[in-house]
Amino acid sequence: MKRLAILVAALVCLPVSNAFAQAVTDAQIAHIVVTANQVDIDAGKLAASMGTHADVKKFGQQMVTDHTGVNKQASDLAAKLKLTPEDNATSKSLKAGGEKNIANLKTLKGAAFDKAYIDNEVKYHQAVLDAMDKTLIPDATNADLKALLTKVRPAFVAHLEHAKQLQATLAKTN
Amino acid sequence: MTVLASLVAIVSLCWGSALVADQGTQASAYARESRTRYGETSPSTHTVVMEGTSFQPADLKISVGDTVVWVNKDPFPHTATSKNGEFDSKEIAEGKSWENTFKTKGDFAYVCTLHPPMKGTLKVE
Repeated sequence: MKRLAILVAALVCLPVSNAFAQAVTDAQIAHIVVTANQVDIDAGKLAASMGTHADVKKFGQQMVTDHTGVNKQASDLAAKLKLTPEDNATSKSLKAGGEKNIANLKTLKGAAFDKAYIDNEVKYHQAVLDAMDKTLIPDATNADLKALLTKVRPAFVAHLEHAKQLQATLAKTN
Repeated sequence: MTVLASLVAIVSLCWGSALVADQGTQASAYARESRTRYGETSPSTHTVVMEGTSFQPADLKISVGDTVVWVNKDPFPHTATSKNGEFDSKEIAEGKSWENTFKTKGDFAYVCTLHPPMKGTLKVE
């Protein structure tokens, strides 16, 4: 009876553990963090220069500032921990997605550019938060790395809310 | 009688050291305890740390004449901006701080305009 209970428990847990089968190492997490920030810095730079709505330009500039700050902190920590960020499938996919977004944004102008940039910022920050909650924070083994991720998480929540507010503002003006 | 004298001595000693501690620029929970022997409140300095995109403490009660220092320990700028326009730090860069002395009573709700979910309250009594 006890054995059956264990077996049932194992079966119930199976699909869950499969979803998180791609366990990541701290070196990979460091690479994902730096890549995720860089992707948003690149889009932010473009929005600061090509955006039309003053708030969109300002938001783009803030993304550059905030994510550059986080990246510096993450790089400093990696150096302190002698952790060499290691490229991986998640980083590659983030980078490819970022490049695709930039290529698309460059074809747009005016209100269409603003909308596409902000829509993507909402999606992107949501995706990054999901990754932080499901993989990056739980999988981080080094306490300092876990603490850094936990500490920057509320900023990403704030960015997401800010982007959603801008999305609503743009919807009203257009 | 000797017991009473010792008690008085201990209380005075504690009082003295508390006053000395309050002379430092670092505000602490003890800052609020800073009072003169005559029950008057001497101005104190309180610190609110901006870290993890939050104000710590998020809710603070101070006396008229006190100073609040907001210290930004996050790697990007924040602001401390009251909703009613009473005070606005503008952007406080990473590692920098901003202080304000409060001369009028009131309840102030404030936010970081860059990160709107980052909220705090200040009660000046």
